[in-house]
Amino acid sequence: MEKFAKAFPSKPLKTTAGKPWALAGVVGSGNLEVLVERGSRPSDAMDCHVETSIPGYKASWLAALADFAHHYPAGGTKVTINDQGAPPVLVTLRLRQAYDHLTKGEK
Amino acid sequence: MTGTSLFHEQTARQRIAALVDPRSFAEMLPPPERLTSPYLAQLGIPVSFDDGVVIGKAKLGGKEIYIAAQVGQFVGGAVGEIHGAKLTGLFKAAARDQVPCVLIIESGGVRLHEGSAGEIAIAETMRAIFECRAKKVPTIAVIATDIGAYGGIGILSTCCDFRVMTEHGRLGISGPIVIEKWMGKKAYDSANRALVWKTSGGKTKYLLGDADALVHDSADAIRDAVAKLLGKSSAITLTSVKTRQKELEKRLKRFGDTADPDAVWKAMGVRDIAGASLASGPEFAAMAKRGK
Amino acid sequence: MTTAKTALRRLNKAQRLERVGKLARGKFVSPDNVPQLLKRIIEPGDILCLEGDNQKQADFLANQLATLDKKDLHDIHLVMSCITLPAHIELFKKGMIRQVDFCYAGPQGTAVADLVKAKKFPVGAIHTYNELYARYYIDLTPRVALIAAAQADRKGNLFLAANTEDTPAIVEPTAFSDGIVFAQVNEIVDKLPRIDIPADQVDFVVEAPYPMHLQALFTRDPAAITDVQVLMAMVALRGIYEKYEVQSLNHGVGFNTAAIELLLPTYGERLGLKGKICKYWMVNPLPTMIPAIESGWVESVFAVGGEVGMERYTAARSDVFFTGRDGSFHSNRAMGQLAGHYAIDMFIGASLQIDINGNSSTVSKNRITGFGGAPNMGCQPTGRRHPTKAWLKAGAEANPGPGSPPGRKLVVQMVETFQAGRVPTFVEELDAAEPSIRKALHGVTPVMIYGDDVTHIVTEEGIANLAACRSIAERQAAIRAVAGYTPVGLKRKKRETEELRRRGIVQMPEDVGVRPSEASRSLLATQDIKGLVRWSNGLYDPPSQFVDW
Repeated sequence: MEKFAKAFPSKPLKTTAGKPWALAGVVGSGNLEVLVERGSRPSDAMDCHVETSIPGYKASWLAALADFAHHYPAGGTKVTINDQGAPPVLVTLRLRQAYDHLTKGEK
Repeated sequence: MTGTSLFHEQTARQRIAALVDPRSFAEMLPPPERLTSPYLAQLGIPVSFDDGVVIGKAKLGGKEIYIAAQVGQFVGGAVGEIHGAKLTGLFKAAARDQVPCVLIIESGGVRLHEGSAGEIAIAETMRAIFECRAKKVPTIAVIATDIGAYGGIGILSTCCDFRVMTEHGRLGISGPIVIEKWMGKKAYDSANRALVWKTSGGKTKYLLGDADALVHDSADAIRDAVAKLLGKSSAITLTSVKTRQKELEKRLKRFGDTADPDAVWKAMGVRDIAGASLASGPEFAAMAKRGK
Repeated sequence: MTTAKTALRRLNKAQRLERVGKLARGKFVSPDNVPQLLKRIIEPGDILCLEGDNQKQADFLANQLATLDKKDLHDIHLVMSCITLPAHIELFKKGMIRQVDFCYAGPQGTAVADLVKAKKFPVGAIHTYNELYARYYIDLTPRVALIAAAQADRKGNLFLAANTEDTPAIVEPTAFSDGIVFAQVNEIVDKLPRIDIPADQVDFVVEAPYPMHLQALFTRDPAAITDVQVLMAMVALRGIYEKYEVQSLNHGVGFNTAAIELLLPTYGERLGLKGKICKYWMVNPLPTMIPAIESGWVESVFAVGGEVGMERYTAARSDVFFTGRDGSFHSNRAMGQLAGHYAIDMFIGASLQIDINGNSSTVSKNRITGFGGAPNMGCQPTGRRHPTKAWLKAGAEANPGPGSPPGRKLVVQMVETFQAGRVPTFVEELDAAEPSIRKALHGVTPVMIYGDDVTHIVTEEGIANLAACRSIAERQAAIRAVAGYTPVGLKRKKRETEELRRRGIVQMPEDVGVRPSEASRSLLATQDIKGLVRWSNGLYDPPSQFVDW
């Protein structure tokens, strides 16, 4: 297991309404779950906490998370990830799904 | 832009959302509570925020229910200490509040990494189910995926009032690989998927009366079946147990020596085996004469 | 003089046949006599062709050959499409082979790599299919060919059923050069459904004690298609199929293209693409094409081989598939490869590794596989003259010079940036460029598809249009832009990527109208094999390992 945390600069979340948290994905082989919660500080950073079963890929994790924080206004969120060897593309996809649920209040 | 949504392809949370009345589900001990397994963490195995089971309260057709859905992808949906405690608590609440309880099963049984805790939790959950039944609070198990209901959870599912299955669902105690290991490949070839489904799949379980409904692999169909069964519950009594025992003895006598699952289907009134194999759940139910 | 020389080769064949004596009754050989017969008809130094490709195998004859020893048989120049069976490897281990020329070694890739390391694999070259067949007519003409057929009649005529595959390409050069053709058949019958190889071209026939091995190579279970593959399929459909109006095409065997096939009746239909794209196919009878065929998308399918379980379906849909007078499916690898080379708008397939210049390969030091059907189809046929919309559009984008063709075939590589186990697909240099492999191959790097031939690379990140790049540096930047979070991708420069995106050379899913969060398996026409059977109205009989009902 490898654990790391880092906050990435990101524009503040647009909406304050909607759900307080959203979850996407499941922990399973080659998959991961992403929990996004509101109310994290500061409001111009996406605070990320990753726990992954496959060590040694910190650089690509950080690059994928930084890109997401850059592309979407996710400031003021806390992102927590439990990973069981998902490829980076799934990281982005699940983040996006959780983010959509959080901001649009979809299921 | 969505096509067909198959129930067995959905995640536990999606299944609950699709089954109950819109926006009626209130999750208990949700992910932000971070109730994760300390045992898995110690072993360096990834943990999950819900420990593999989502529980809560919801409405189905306007009626209040308790509902749980296991996460088969997470360590095979196996029951550990926290997972088990969530299940036990839910059924106890159902008995206390006299609110029906629906369990969407997807589990191989006890989680090996926390075996004793899992065993005890399953036993306690069964006791809570019996408590529900004593109070005539309906308990319904839904088995709709290939992970199915095995081990302790297979037994637990049969403690509920009713089982709703799909053609994808499987129900048993020992899994196919375990049976093959003990009985030999000649007796049971676990790689023969057709054989595995013909012995433990939803269609056969429905034929033999172990499943009470065999429905389409969709949330709508499962909701309809669950809704129909929600009003009924019966207590487990000495007489009901004895009757069931007699039925099982009869079944053993009738089919105990049969090596060919097709023979069981034929004896149960299925004429066109190939057609029935390919048929959907409800088509099959219509084709087969149902027996006990 | 000439007549005497001609007679020599014919005389040599006559001598071999004479040596056979009572081991055969006319053309017919009993299985027990096969090893003895092989000893007598094959001579040291012979070019021997053993039929076997990625699907069909003359496995009985191969197994019998492998029972012989070096003293019986040596200095053989083996020519064959695919090294697939343990028996093939045995011939090398026994030191019977002087040289081998082949195309592909899928399941034996690791064993071949071991043989190379042990210097027991004297390889001439790894060929593309049509290249090898062509050499059968030039400098690699077999003296003896061991082939496989479904049935023979009492005269020795052969019926090849759905799996014609390489047989005609092997038999013709052998039979018309006084070579010996020896066929194993599943059964001998009084009357064949149709004659695929005339008895006139067949010297010996054995009814094998077990049916020839057939690999179900093109069966992809829809249950194993991932959301990410659906995303890539959506991007490819919009960014390439729709954009260029691709009418004739070949698909590889991967899950990526299977996802595309299963999206046609759903997503494709909603985009209004039916009748505009994907009408003419050069592809094996892929079970995942059933929904598109049943929905009326497909005009015709020609195939290089059959697929286990598709016999009844292809026969029933003879309006789409090529079938014989008996009504059953027909394939031909040489002709199919030719069709895929000259007559299609697009080839799209996957690869294990792509380098920074767009070259791809599946070969590594520990696994020497070679090529399947990809290289003949995944290349620019400069012998092509007929225009199609797609060909001209792709050609115009490539900005042809005064001395180049006006059109281009679309050659598309569709890969996820990572393979299973987080192995990056994109690399700075191919494993195949490893010096020991190049040395064994006489200085040739076994590249499957050359970067110069590739027009597009599709990944989950988006599309890189390599044909539209104006320099090597630009092509490399475009590849890095879609290489995701692999080491190759992490080297991209944000400004460069944005500039390429502005020019449309790099397109993200959003740029072609695809929202990633929409990508879901639920868009597929069916999610499992059973669904394919239902789409086929019960005419598709999937192999048992796929059946759970």
